[in-house]
Amino acid sequence: MNTPSNQELIARWKDEEAPLLPLLHAFHDRDGYLSDETLRDVAQGLRLSLADLYGTVTFYHHFSRFPPGQAAPRVCDGPVCSLRGAHDLIEALRKDGATAMPCAGRCDEPIPVLEGDKVFVGLTHDSLNVKPSPLPPKNPGGTEECVFASIREPGRSTLDGYRKTGGYEGLERALKSKPEELVQLITDSGLAGRGGAGFPTGRKWKAVADAPGTPKTIVCNADEGEPGCFKDRVLMDHDPHAVIEGMILAAYGTGATRGFLYLRYEYPETEKILEKATEEAKSAGFLGEKIGGKDFTFHLSVRRGAGAYICGEETSLLNSLEGKHPFPRNRPPFPVTHGYEDLPTVVNNVETLASAAAIARKGADWYQGLGMGEHAGTKLISLSGDIRRPGNYEVPIGLPLQTLLEDWAGGAPEGRTIQAVTMAGLSGGFLAKDGLGVTLDEPSIRSKSSFLGAGGIIVYDDRRDMVEAAQVAMQFFAHESCGKCFPCRIGTQRLTERLRGDAGPRELEAWRTEVADLGRTMKSLSACGLGIAAPLITESLVRYFPEQVARHVAAAQ
Amino acid sequence: MSNPLVDMEKPDVIFCIGTNMTECHPVAATRLKKAIAKGAKLIVADPRRIELAEMADVYLPLRVGSDVALLLGMAHVIGRECLVNRDFIEQRTEESEAFLEHVKQFTPEWAESICGVPAKDIEQAAIWYAQAERGAIYYTLGITEHICGVDNVQSLSNLALMTGNIGREGTGINPMRGQNNIQGAGDSGALPNNYPGFQPVDDPKAQAKFEKAYGRPMSPEKGITKVTALDRCGEQIRAMLICGENTLVSDPDRKHCEHAMKALDHIVVLDIFMTETAELADVVLPATAFAETDGVCVNTERRVQRLRAAVPPPGDAKPDWWILSQLGKRMGAPGFEFTSAKEVFNELCSLSPIYAGIDWDLIEHGEYHWPIPEPGHPGTPMLHEKEFPRGRGLFKLVEYRDPAETISEKFPVWLTTGRRLQAYHTRTQTGRSSGIDYLLSEESLEVNPADVEAWGLQDGGWAKLSGTKGSVNIRVKSTMRSPRGTVFCSFSFADVPVNILTGAGYDPVTQTAELKVCPVRVEAV
Amino acid sequence: MATIENSTQTLTLTMNGTEVTFSPGETLYEVAQRHVDRDVPTLCYDERLEAFGACRLCVVEVEGIRNPVASCTTKATAGMVVKTHTDGLEAHRRTLLEMVASENREIDVDPLSGYASQEMKTLVDRYEARTGRFQGKQSGKSRPDDPNPFIKRDYDLCISCYRCVRVCAEQEGDYAISVANRGFETQITTEFGGFLKDSACTFCGQCIQTCPTGALADHKALRSKDVPGEVKKTRTICPYCGVGCSVDLMSKGDKLVGVLPAMDGPANLGALCIKGQFAYDFVQHSERLSTPLVRGDDGVLRPASWDEALDRAAQGFKDAAANHGEDSIYAIASGRAPNEAAYLTQKFIRATFGTSQVDNCSRA
Repeated sequence: MNTPSNQELIARWKDEEAPLLPLLHAFHDRDGYLSDETLRDVAQGLRLSLADLYGTVTFYHHFSRFPPGQAAPRVCDGPVCSLRGAHDLIEALRKDGATAMPCAGRCDEPIPVLEGDKVFVGLTHDSLNVKPSPLPPKNPGGTEECVFASIREPGRSTLDGYRKTGGYEGLERALKSKPEELVQLITDSGLAGRGGAGFPTGRKWKAVADAPGTPKTIVCNADEGEPGCFKDRVLMDHDPHAVIEGMILAAYGTGATRGFLYLRYEYPETEKILEKATEEAKSAGFLGEKIGGKDFTFHLSVRRGAGAYICGEETSLLNSLEGKHPFPRNRPPFPVTHGYEDLPTVVNNVETLASAAAIARKGADWYQGLGMGEHAGTKLISLSGDIRRPGNYEVPIGLPLQTLLEDWAGGAPEGRTIQAVTMAGLSGGFLAKDGLGVTLDEPSIRSKSSFLGAGGIIVYDDRRDMVEAAQVAMQFFAHESCGKCFPCRIGTQRLTERLRGDAGPRELEAWRTEVADLGRTMKSLSACGLGIAAPLITESLVRYFPEQVARHVAAAQ
Repeated sequence: MSNPLVDMEKPDVIFCIGTNMTECHPVAATRLKKAIAKGAKLIVADPRRIELAEMADVYLPLRVGSDVALLLGMAHVIGRECLVNRDFIEQRTEESEAFLEHVKQFTPEWAESICGVPAKDIEQAAIWYAQAERGAIYYTLGITEHICGVDNVQSLSNLALMTGNIGREGTGINPMRGQNNIQGAGDSGALPNNYPGFQPVDDPKAQAKFEKAYGRPMSPEKGITKVTALDRCGEQIRAMLICGENTLVSDPDRKHCEHAMKALDHIVVLDIFMTETAELADVVLPATAFAETDGVCVNTERRVQRLRAAVPPPGDAKPDWWILSQLGKRMGAPGFEFTSAKEVFNELCSLSPIYAGIDWDLIEHGEYHWPIPEPGHPGTPMLHEKEFPRGRGLFKLVEYRDPAETISEKFPVWLTTGRRLQAYHTRTQTGRSSGIDYLLSEESLEVNPADVEAWGLQDGGWAKLSGTKGSVNIRVKSTMRSPRGTVFCSFSFADVPVNILTGAGYDPVTQTAELKVCPVRVEAV
Repeated sequence: MATIENSTQTLTLTMNGTEVTFSPGETLYEVAQRHVDRDVPTLCYDERLEAFGACRLCVVEVEGIRNPVASCTTKATAGMVVKTHTDGLEAHRRTLLEMVASENREIDVDPLSGYASQEMKTLVDRYEARTGRFQGKQSGKSRPDDPNPFIKRDYDLCISCYRCVRVCAEQEGDYAISVANRGFETQITTEFGGFLKDSACTFCGQCIQTCPTGALADHKALRSKDVPGEVKKTRTICPYCGVGCSVDLMSKGDKLVGVLPAMDGPANLGALCIKGQFAYDFVQHSERLSTPLVRGDDGVLRPASWDEALDRAAQGFKDAAANHGEDSIYAIASGRAPNEAAYLTQKFIRATFGTSQVDNCSRA
């Protein structure tokens, strides 16, 4: 095959929806990096400011401006992988130009190494292999599952496999009724955003359905960037049609005609799976024009990010899709009225959409009943770190944390005890001591000044230096801070320095005051969730591990 | 401008023709860019692929001097597509039927054969402009500095009249004035046909008014234009008072100018620098400059604004008003006993109907656009809201004419001239401001890369540019801004006196020189 | 929007305990500017630009909303209960300013740096934030190697407020300045991080005038940093094209040291171009004519007194009139000089000779 020219690539993409990212990826795939000439041509072709394009490209971790670029190995040094020897692996691969990358979402089976469009996993440089992402273990509690119910069926990722256990039946049923009825069904189920924010899904769909302006858009937020979270990956890899069906349902309910699945860069295999599933759904008449023979059109495109945690924040994601600098937008207005291209837009997480597909098939009451007590439904938990059986678990909301850790996942490794866990990946900070007595629902966890969020839980056993764990976490936030708002941009840096011990007071009280003052202002004044959540790390560290903090400050002298 | 600058942010269709606004009126251009950012469509007609062209939704690269053909073609399309604003035509204009009949012969295909712009683009531009809710036209010297400058302006006026894109917010026909007070100079009566405030010298009432004001009989004859005066130096014209103009360099046909000046018995020049023109003077009078002067100036939107002195002038330099008053006194004329700029301006206001409602103190903050016909009047940011100066807008039946000189075997290339962002006019000011040289240290001839090759030139090398009147040497710059067969340079640099070559013809009405079109030959040196 | 047309209903909210009115679409910051005695502090706000919400200094408390909100990006709604200067907000602002101060090499910069250059210093002093807390790495990498003579690029003083990026895009429409990297590594830059001359920059100077720290500063004006005396400002109009931009000339004693755009200039609203911003020093150029000159018998121009020069000038015109008639004298007025010059030029011809042998330079 001939290598396409710059102009051919630009011509291929420039009239597509949201063309910038796929166009840059096309160049990246062709050359391994984005040259000055490429950027000049792209800026001209898409009529963008060259300065802005240059700035935006440098924002993304994985866009390389120089060779070998994409071809060089990038090794995950996220919080779990750094416990598993990521830094030794980077050293071992240094001769190949290896660099570190933030958590790449393989915490259940570390350590991922990205090379070109392949992900290798392995703990040492001679054991690296390409492997499909692990299926969730069979539900150890015997509780009824929602999104995982059929995921372990063979061939589930194909259209036929999906249809075998009732796939697209929910959609077919919904298409026979009015869109309002579907929205009401979702509202009645009590489904709330499973990406972390917990906003009632039915209300969001209704807001978009009611908002003036067309075309409307459905965005599936598959930018699963939270360290310790890998649940969306398993859904998309093994049950992609459930996500697609969820998006089509959202489109039908809201009147949207276009959709994007915004996938994080670090899941290249997932992109192929999704592309294939999308093609299948198109051929089966579930996507495109006149879906189900009705006057219902929905076009779905997969768009791949380029390495920026902040793009999991919905307004950054929208800016990224639009080819703009991926800073979060000021809210209000919210995406439901001013989303993609300033038009009404649903942004839902992968798990939320897959749940919606199940609800459309099995009903609101069924979903309601899956939770414990008053809680509705289930939540996927990505469990990793110092735990015997890491992996994805679908828990009934309200399940005690201890049940998950000890009974379902086998507890700490032999001879160890659990010292602490994180919540919401890293964003919820640490729970330890009495904090470990929570149940897995927002009210319980929030009572301990944390939150469940996207459902990533990283376990630290009693060997671990929690100041170091906190430093790894804060460094991640500093690395991923977009730089727009002052408290987050400066605060994450200053907290990292204080946790690393290379700046800040040498006297404990002053250290604690500075860290507390930084945290308080970040929490109150930051413009988005990143800066608000990051200080939960230091807050919980100081609360649960004052002696470790004291030792750290003393050692820095 | 028919409309104020603030209106530049309001059109939904913008038609820029013969204006390199981002370089020549950059601050005005920022307002157009805001309209574009809000979604306005931009139509740009210019022989050169200027920055505005890069921003355009449709770019019409016409051959130099063929504007009338393009605009007739557009008028034809608007008529043919039934996009004429019937209500506006009926209520506000005259001669529309004759005009609509007249343009039937000028198809876009005919226009293409003359101006070289693809017919489909002419159609697109015409349709967008005609369908605009608020369509605005902007132009500059690329329209007026032609032998058919008046025809060009009338063609634009025809387009605005037939679509009703005038007299409303965000519309209009908007020439951008090139100099800080060129508007004010005309307002103040420095015109051979008008007293201050555009009162015709051949109007007996105006004559009587000024005879009374100036205390002597006034000739009812119009004076001659500067262009004619230069032609008559040494004959009718024997003495000249030249205030702050480097006539020799900025005017076309430099040899002719120099010859004319040398034929005079007496030249007095007021200026701030020893210009090429001042070098020929019998008396040179040092004037104060910007930043040293109190006074009044009027911008392109007819806004009357105050100038204030910040620093003292060098040595014995004096304000223009003082020098001219002294000169008037010494001629024995009455009415030159001024002691301040304020007194001078207030006298002007008392004699000018367009300034009748203002005085020096009232314009402190610059909020008045003339006409301000009486005290208490708020000024007139927008012209032609209810009627035109003559009542109804008159369609003019314009026809295309070739430029004064067209390309030939001997001179096969079109030269067009203009300004650059970093230099102003003949660089008496920008050339003496530090740092400008860092960005623009010399003039160069912009040549299409294919022509650079075809003509055996080298990018960065030297070329000889020859026309019927002479030749200059100039460095070559290869750039896609120039289309094939057309080259560009500015007249700003004294060492590349390009106005040696220009000026074969003048508009018969305004006597504006055809500086924008000049057939030349380009050879490697 | 029926509510805008139906203006009978006055919109009000409560700010610091007082009921205040507002218009639809106004932000809380705009309302506070009108109604609150003490300024609501900000570093990323420029009223000509879209509110950005970066610095978070303008946060206010709104009843019913848990965290303080940025007043610059929050629209006022009827019935809101807003507090702008609680102890808690003031403490956050002080902490924020301590944080901002900690990333900069210096807080005090010469006022000649630019129109807004004292904003950061003023706030740091108002909040007594020079505590030296939060020390650590400094952000921004300066470009002393950029040889352009107009815009100093001292990014060590940059606080990433993005005003320069936004003014270049929104106000100027040039899109020359952008932002590279992210987080603490954020760097204000141009295409490929090069020199301004090689970018889309037109040197209009708007970035230096909106910069609140002097990171982008007026190189030319700063040459007069050590000239003694206070800076005096004089409002006048730019001497170049016909747009008529208002400028505030900066002078120290008799020396013209720089130009500031007039933010309230009716034709330009603070915008300028390279010529208006930077090409002013021709005024005090050594080649200025400073004395009248008359041509001697030897054919050479020599200095003369005003009396001699004016007599000589007048005599020449008298001679021409006597020998060749009153229509043999012609005057050309300048489109560059004030109205008074043009007016008196025509009056000179008309009142002295009774003809209209006068024109201006608009025909070429």
